[in-house]
Amino acid sequence: MKKYILLLLISFQGLLAQVQFEAKVSRNSLGLNERLRVDFIMNVDGDNFVQPNFEGFRVIAGPSQQISQSWINGRSSFEKIYSYFLLPLQKGNLVIKQAVIEFNGQLYKTAPIRVTVTNPVQQQADPNDPNAPQISADNNIYLVADISKTNPYINEPITVVYKLYFSYNIGITNWRELDKPKYNDFWSQNIDIKQLVAEEGLFKGQRYRFVTLRKTVLYPQKSGRLKIEPLALDIDVQLPTNRRDMFGRVLITEGNKRVSAGTKTITVKPLPEAGKPEGFTGAVGNFDFKVTPSKTNLKNGESLDLVVSVSGKGNLKLFDLPKPVAPNALEMYDAVHKEQVNTGLSGMTGKIADSYTIVPQYKGKYPIKPMQFSYFDLGSGMYKTITSEEILINVLDGPTASQAIDSTNGGNKNKIEKLEQFKFIKLKTELVPLKQQDFFGSLWYYLLLLLPFIALPILVLLRKRKEALDGDVTGNRIRMNNRLAKKYLSEAKKQIQNKELFYVALEKAMHNFLKAKLHIETSEMSKDNIQELLLSRNANSETVTDFIALTENCELARYAPASSTSIQNDFDKAVVIISALEKQI
Amino acid sequence: MKHLIYIVVFITSFGFAQSGFEKGNVLYQKGQYEQAIQAYESVLDSHQQSAELYFNLGNCYYKLNKVAPAIYNYEKALVLAPEDADITNNLKFAQKLTIDEVKDVPKVGFAKLLRDFTGIYHFNTWALISVVFGLLFLGFFIGYYFSPSTRSKRIFFFGMFVWIVSLLVSLGAAIFEKNHFVNERPAIVFAEVTEVKSEPQKASPATFTLHEGTKVFVLETLGKWKKIQLTDGTEGWIESPAIREVK
Repeated sequence: MKKYILLLLISFQGLLAQVQFEAKVSRNSLGLNERLRVDFIMNVDGDNFVQPNFEGFRVIAGPSQQISQSWINGRSSFEKIYSYFLLPLQKGNLVIKQAVIEFNGQLYKTAPIRVTVTNPVQQQADPNDPNAPQISADNNIYLVADISKTNPYINEPITVVYKLYFSYNIGITNWRELDKPKYNDFWSQNIDIKQLVAEEGLFKGQRYRFVTLRKTVLYPQKSGRLKIEPLALDIDVQLPTNRRDMFGRVLITEGNKRVSAGTKTITVKPLPEAGKPEGFTGAVGNFDFKVTPSKTNLKNGESLDLVVSVSGKGNLKLFDLPKPVAPNALEMYDAVHKEQVNTGLSGMTGKIADSYTIVPQYKGKYPIKPMQFSYFDLGSGMYKTITSEEILINVLDGPTASQAIDSTNGGNKNKIEKLEQFKFIKLKTELVPLKQQDFFGSLWYYLLLLLPFIALPILVLLRKRKEALDGDVTGNRIRMNNRLAKKYLSEAKKQIQNKELFYVALEKAMHNFLKAKLHIETSEMSKDNIQELLLSRNANSETVTDFIALTENCELARYAPASSTSIQNDFDKAVVIISALEKQI
Repeated sequence: MKHLIYIVVFITSFGFAQSGFEKGNVLYQKGQYEQAIQAYESVLDSHQQSAELYFNLGNCYYKLNKVAPAIYNYEKALVLAPEDADITNNLKFAQKLTIDEVKDVPKVGFAKLLRDFTGIYHFNTWALISVVFGLLFLGFFIGYYFSPSTRSKRIFFFGMFVWIVSLLVSLGAAIFEKNHFVNERPAIVFAEVTEVKSEPQKASPATFTLHEGTKVFVLETLGKWKKIQLTDGTEGWIESPAIREVK
């Protein structure tokens, strides 16, 4: 028996030790506008409670913890409850997932629970209920997003103003933001509203009070259809009831209302491609562009500030300023960027500036190229370009580029340096044809170059020839006689007016001719001898006799009177005879 | 008669060109650089040139802060008169206005020595020198051939060899100089900003950008593109209209 009791005890012990952990919901099916209570109940004091993430629900209250321990008839019972109040966010089948606790080193989980969410249930207010409000909050409170322009260009400012309209007979005690609006692909700036001021306005043809909750300036950064995520508010409202207090004032009930502005879509136009300037960096608005140097004449070691600034109205913070281009001899440091921009409801206004510090290194004048700044003018829908003027920086003294390497060991001595200066034009010139024949490679060049080498063999040959001629004695004599014959004949021609000298010369000419032809000496000259020799050389006998006759005639004529015609005849005859003999011998 | 007319025409045109140069000088002195440029250009239009003319043109452009034409004209002047100190001086001034900083990497080695030597004279001068050496050679040969004494014969014979070697050297120098002149094609970037690409294609990525006034050397030409080398040795392709060749 005792044994049974023990067994029973042990089994009860096991029962006692059984850990129970479960989730309970107040209802399994509810309307979208109803609430749900979830309890996670355990019978031990578990640690490390991990709540499930209530997907599809919004936690409106909780977790609240509740512990109870009781002794009934000597038996203790322990209960620990975590409870939540949930509001469904969407219709359909939702699942509350597992919650976890840890007890004695072991993990315990609840089973997931399915909840069906149906359409909002009309909460039928009892018309006779004196506490029921006179009016519903639904038709008396609206959240509206006013968008200034729904089809802007890229970077054109638009404003979104959230206004909460509410009718005269409801009051608002508090409001909470549930969803903050998200502006993806927009550059946005909120404009702070210091104090909410209730104003009056018309809405849907009725007079409403409204509060401007939020003002935002947006600059679209992308073309296409862009969505603005809505703003959602949870508002505590005060609604009048039908009951009145003892003074006759209407009693008020508190209510709760969720409002949302709804998703807005904005169609952003891209900037036109036609006529887009080359250096366009995305500036849209209306601007003035200036490049101002702090000074243009400076001494060595001084620096100047070059301020590139854009002022006006537009997306000032959203584009880059053009960079100045300076010669390499100017040392230009990175820019210091300054912004003085106010963002109002109509967009950004103000001025942005890049300030460059420039330190010239050498003497001289240096141009800084004109800069161009382009922007898209929203008023005319056209691109506009502003070009700055060229800036000339004049460095008055200082080392020139070539002297830069000079060491500074000059001490205090006053050095007279050869100043490098820009040279004046040249005043004299010798103009040459544009296309001049090069001497090198011309025919003349080759001729002159080869001349010595052509002259060389000719010289050698000439000398050889001369030596050979010098060695030839008889030949020389013949040549000499021949030359003499010609010489005297020409002398005779000259003396044709002077009879005596003419005949002397003519005779000499003929003698020398014979000497050359017959290779004889003056001593051997006699008529017979001459005749014989001439005939032996196959000379025409007639010519020979003529020749002899002429020589005799010469001797005679010298002393006899002769007319000028006969002299001329004799000369002609001599020429004919000599030429005939020349041919025959 | 016809010859006379030619001569008259030539002389008048020459006189006209001279007057254009002088007119330019007067205008320059008055500070009317634009008109001075026109006057100088009129000389060029009559197919006449000189180093001084290009130098003065370069000065005009420099005064007007037109970097690329200034450097271009100085370089042209230097082609005609490489040793002129004034031109190099003013070219330095003009180069200070340029934007690009390109290191001038000095060439070293035997080729540099050779070029230093041949670069002393223009190739036409070398040609003239070689002709003079040839004539000296001929003179010494005559001396050798006809001189009676053995001693002078020896001297002349030795001299002949000296001159023939000198002639060959000067001839070689002339050929080398001429080759160098033909192969070296300097050009000046005229475009304000231009991109140098790695390949002669529009779509090809730009390796670097050049600004006006920078001196480059043209290596090859392909259609509308030219392969260029900078003084520091970097190479790339550039569109032909962006640069203007000096020679």
